[in-house]
Amino acid sequence: MANHDEHNDHDDAPTSYPDGELYGVLAEYDTPGELLDAARKVRDAGYTEFDCYSPFPVHGIDEAMGIKRTILPLIVFGGGATGLLGGIFLQWWMNAYNWPWNIAGKPSWSIPANVPIMFEGTILFSVFASFFGMWILNKLPQVWHPFFRSDRFAKVTDDTFILGIEAKDKRFDHVATTKLLKDAGAIAVEDVHLESDPARKNMPKWITAFIVASTAFALIPFAIAAKARNSHSNAPHIHIFPDMDFQPKYKSDTAMDLFPDGRSNRGEITGTIARGSLNADDTFYRGIENGGWTTGFPKQLELNDAMVKRGQNRFNIYCSACHGYDGQGHGTVPQRVAATGGAFLPANLVAAGGSAVQMPNGQVFNTISNGFNTMMGYANQIPHADRWAIVLYVRALQRSQHATIEDVPPEQRGSIR
Amino acid sequence: MSTLQKTLHPDEKIKAGKIGQAMTKAGLGIAVVFLAVSIVLTLSGTANSGHDSKWARFFHAYVIGWSYIFTLSLGMLWIIILHYLVRGRWLTAVRRIAEAMTGAFPIIFIAGLGFIVPLLAGYKDLYYWAHPDAYNAELNHHLLHKLGEFGWLSPKFFALRYVIYGIGFSAMAAYFANKSREQDESGDPKISETLRIASGPAMILFAVLTCMVAFDILMSIAPKWFSTIYGVAFWGSGCIGSFAALALLVLGIQRSGRLTHSINAEHYHDIGKWMFAFTFFWAYTAFSQFMLQWYGNMPEETHWYKYRMFGEWQWVSIAILVGYFAFPFVFLMSRWTKRIVPALVFFAVWQLVFHWLDLYWQIMPSFDWGVVYHEGARIVAGPLTGSPDLHHVGFSPVDVTVWLGLVGLWVAGVGMSLKGNLIPVKDPTLPLSLAHEVQ
Amino acid sequence: MSAATMEGDGAAEHHEEAGKAREAFRGVTRDVAWVAEAPKPHKAWLGALGISVTMLAIGVYSIYVLVTTGIGVWGNSNTVGWAWDITNFVWWIGIGHAGTLISAVLFLTRQTWRVSINRAAEAMTIFAVMCALLFPLLHTGRPWFAWWMIPHPNDMGMWPQFRSPLMWDVFAVSTYATTSILFWYMGLVPDLATFRDRFAAKGDKLKAIIYGTLSLGWRGSARQWHRYERAYLILAGLATPLVFSVHSVVSFDFATSQLPGWHTTIFPPYFVAGAIFSGFAMVLTLMLPLRHLFNLQHIIKESHIEAMCKIMLATGMMVGLAYGTELFIAWYSGNLYEKFAFANRAFGPFWWAYFAMVSCNVLVPQAFWSKKIRQSPVIIFVLCIFINIGMWFERFVIIATSLARSFLPANWSYYTPTRFDVGLFVGTLGLFFTLFLLFFRYVPVIAMSEVKGAMPEAHAGGKKDKH
Repeated sequence: MANHDEHNDHDDAPTSYPDGELYGVLAEYDTPGELLDAARKVRDAGYTEFDCYSPFPVHGIDEAMGIKRTILPLIVFGGGATGLLGGIFLQWWMNAYNWPWNIAGKPSWSIPANVPIMFEGTILFSVFASFFGMWILNKLPQVWHPFFRSDRFAKVTDDTFILGIEAKDKRFDHVATTKLLKDAGAIAVEDVHLESDPARKNMPKWITAFIVASTAFALIPFAIAAKARNSHSNAPHIHIFPDMDFQPKYKSDTAMDLFPDGRSNRGEITGTIARGSLNADDTFYRGIENGGWTTGFPKQLELNDAMVKRGQNRFNIYCSACHGYDGQGHGTVPQRVAATGGAFLPANLVAAGGSAVQMPNGQVFNTISNGFNTMMGYANQIPHADRWAIVLYVRALQRSQHATIEDVPPEQRGSIR
Repeated sequence: MSTLQKTLHPDEKIKAGKIGQAMTKAGLGIAVVFLAVSIVLTLSGTANSGHDSKWARFFHAYVIGWSYIFTLSLGMLWIIILHYLVRGRWLTAVRRIAEAMTGAFPIIFIAGLGFIVPLLAGYKDLYYWAHPDAYNAELNHHLLHKLGEFGWLSPKFFALRYVIYGIGFSAMAAYFANKSREQDESGDPKISETLRIASGPAMILFAVLTCMVAFDILMSIAPKWFSTIYGVAFWGSGCIGSFAALALLVLGIQRSGRLTHSINAEHYHDIGKWMFAFTFFWAYTAFSQFMLQWYGNMPEETHWYKYRMFGEWQWVSIAILVGYFAFPFVFLMSRWTKRIVPALVFFAVWQLVFHWLDLYWQIMPSFDWGVVYHEGARIVAGPLTGSPDLHHVGFSPVDVTVWLGLVGLWVAGVGMSLKGNLIPVKDPTLPLSLAHEVQ
Repeated sequence: MSAATMEGDGAAEHHEEAGKAREAFRGVTRDVAWVAEAPKPHKAWLGALGISVTMLAIGVYSIYVLVTTGIGVWGNSNTVGWAWDITNFVWWIGIGHAGTLISAVLFLTRQTWRVSINRAAEAMTIFAVMCALLFPLLHTGRPWFAWWMIPHPNDMGMWPQFRSPLMWDVFAVSTYATTSILFWYMGLVPDLATFRDRFAAKGDKLKAIIYGTLSLGWRGSARQWHRYERAYLILAGLATPLVFSVHSVVSFDFATSQLPGWHTTIFPPYFVAGAIFSGFAMVLTLMLPLRHLFNLQHIIKESHIEAMCKIMLATGMMVGLAYGTELFIAWYSGNLYEKFAFANRAFGPFWWAYFAMVSCNVLVPQAFWSKKIRQSPVIIFVLCIFINIGMWFERFVIIATSLARSFLPANWSYYTPTRFDVGLFVGTLGLFFTLFLLFFRYVPVIAMSEVKGAMPEAHAGGKKDKH
């Protein structure tokens, strides 16, 4: 029996800690095949509280012991269904309901694009269900078990095949059960007793202390998060990576101690003009000549075809939206206002005898620059020279609306009906 | 994993006997009746469905039916090659039946001449690229390089490739089946080794030919459309039908009192597993193809799906999604549906019907051709043009009768190869296959 | 077998058989456990660890520079916005897939030879996924905000955009990492229990407590095994579609776009095949030297290595078929951009990468047709390195060449990596090898319980006519 060398000491030695209550009987078998036969016999004898222990799943043991098929697949199916529905709900609620996100006008709830995450959700929850479900059904983790007191049992994870019957089984009878196991071909049978020494019976104190301490420690982050959610502090968030969030500079309209007025803004220094901002020419920059609106054009501008074209171009961009391309005040904005039931009547720039016709050039320029009634000023959008070009174009428009055949050059008169 | 072995039961009936002839007769009968009905329906104009050509519906249905019977044998050729490639075991007990199914390849390719010959003879209303208008209509289009007298999609070149496919598939099937029968006589284990070595190159040839068949015969029916995964998806869908047909054929042979001891729930379980696996795999490839083209939204690709996602065809699409994937997927997941024979038969028949619907869905929307007028001239604009609402399913009885007729031909082809031993008696893996147990 | 029959000749015969069986089981435990039980590690192991840690340090420095400076330290540009980082990401994810394939797909298809390598391959999966995750994380530029990708209530009141393939990636890869870890750990538990019992028997209390805690009190009872095997089968069944989905989702990152060379429908299965191809090459790259150093030749047998060579040959052919299909359809489609993209790959500025890819991925594996080559570990090792390189180039070719020559010629440019690109890649290799070496020393590197269950001795003894 060379193969039993390692066990010989135990065969003769008294079972360890024989002092406690009897927990069960262990029987060792030589081969997986004998374990199977023994399991079948024990099952046929009517035992229920027994189990076989082996280094690997023995083929056919389920049938031999009469183990019912586990309900694990059902649990996994439930997990998978939860994952699938969860995946659908997650995406619908977040992307289509709570915060519909417009990406290039595409529908915010479009199932084909949501399939991958539904699928991953299904798999993830099925995996959780099968992994955790298996451990829970197996009642693990349970790091201590009375059978672990047997040195023979420690060989189960190596090369040993053991059948154990627990004393709580209704048919358990120490003598008869031991005999049954021996008759079934056991090479050794061993009693396993519960621990009787109270010092060893319970979990060591330091393990309890360790679990309590680590649980308390693990709660700290949650406590901090809970505190932060209820805080009213104005202090900025913790920035582990500050990026460029905090720059050594003052933003406008903030307080600053350096200057007597306590402001970070510094106005222009009295008596100075910024470079390029002199704008001394009253006619060109403001349309004023000799204390009144100029009736001509600034002398530095050359009035020609190009300037009219430029004026037309700017007029069509900036003015036509309200005044219309023809200047009669029927632009798209008043049309839109009218369509929604309101009324908005921009000035007719070309009406005979209207204010725009009577205004001197300087006043038209001023109106473009600074606005009039509901019209805002365009000084920021349109450079001075362009404003003058618009004035010129408006004048051309006005004239074209009231032109006679005499206004047309004689050589082109033939082309007009 | 069990390494248990079993020997053939002494009372086992392993000779095919008359079952093959009976199948051949029945198959031919079905084929003659249904094809005759189809022709009558076509000639009488019942099947016209509004197309210019009387025969267009018939030929579209014919391509569907041909693809159907082709895939039934295709999957079995694949599993036989794979079986040798990976030294498989479980298949051995049913392999002779699978070999008989691949034995139908010559008949399948002869049946295919039913649309290849008219194409060569100048029939132009099946494949748009054979239409003389196509050349004019596509002058400025990206189709042009494929057309022309000797272009990729010219009837002559197309027919030549068809002949190559026919020879390729029939030769592979015959090689594996004949060698295996040779082993029945000699019992030489070296034959298994020879076949194992041959299976490597055979698998490569199989893959290339299968992709090309899919590209040529099915994909080119909508000639402006293209998809690189199409061949893989075609094979995946085909294997569903093929394993379903195997389950039915095995059951039929067992009902006739043969192989009753050798083939048991374990083998049905594995057939069911493959059916399940391919149901999933097909869904994976079909979804990949659809999702990428839908997401990319490029007109040259997405038009193919436009005609299937909207209008009448969307209901067929939904039916396929539910019937070909969701329903069988959920149920074939369980153990019992694969082990209890009536349940497996139900799903086999179910998947065989939906496999046809899948092919129908791929080909039939191309049946309606648009017509445009260009500078006064009437030009056929090709399949998949115009509004999807104008494309009707337009179901015609011919769709089914032609299919059934071709299935009859296939059954006859299988029957012709179903002779001699129904189980490879001297295959070294047979004892393992007989003792096979699914975990 | 009853006690009565054990007398006489039958008994002697029986004990011989039983003794042999037990010795075989014990032998497996011994052969695997000695690596972890050896008081001093192997010199070669220490040397390899030294090199790996040095490489890891290079990676840590590269990350330090990257995080404190910005993405600009990489060679990425406006044109080639995805470059080495995403190439490496896909490469690493692909390598991980062989582990799942071995543990799940080969399990479902009953390929018993997998038991000798599945543990190591699964570990490889986990470490490869860890390396892979680093790249997109760092590529975001501000990895400390990566948690924004997790849907959670936040003060911006916004949610992730689930229609983006990049979000699919987050879900797919994190599900994959979780599943791989759980699957691996579950497989480990019985073997950790073996370690627990061995260290307890030796009186090494600390290790016994550590392994004991990790093994959750596993007793190897048949009722536990029953549920355990069910769960294993189910997890294998779940991991199989998962592994397909993960690399398919990775391929969607490219294929959902409209970029020629990226937008093609064969990408999902083609990426999966390529992943398995490169993964097996990496398994062999790792296992061949370790098998030699730690005398595992009788557990990882020659036939197992041959089988892996054949899988590489098969997947290499699949990848080759995909290359061919792409070329054919690019021509068949008649699409100008498609045609250009593929001509540019082969003859454009990155032609060298394309030909490196084709020769390493399609030509090199052809050597595995020869049985002689399949049986010479040195040649296999060299060929596997080439395959690893080839598969890296495949991803580089797809990413860099397509981006460098997109629709607008005004945007065309060339891509050159910087030393920080190289440094990070070297660093992930270092991380991978460091983790793998630590795993090899402290964790049961071969699934002992599965190897024992797959041995013929697992059916020894008892009445033979059970059925």
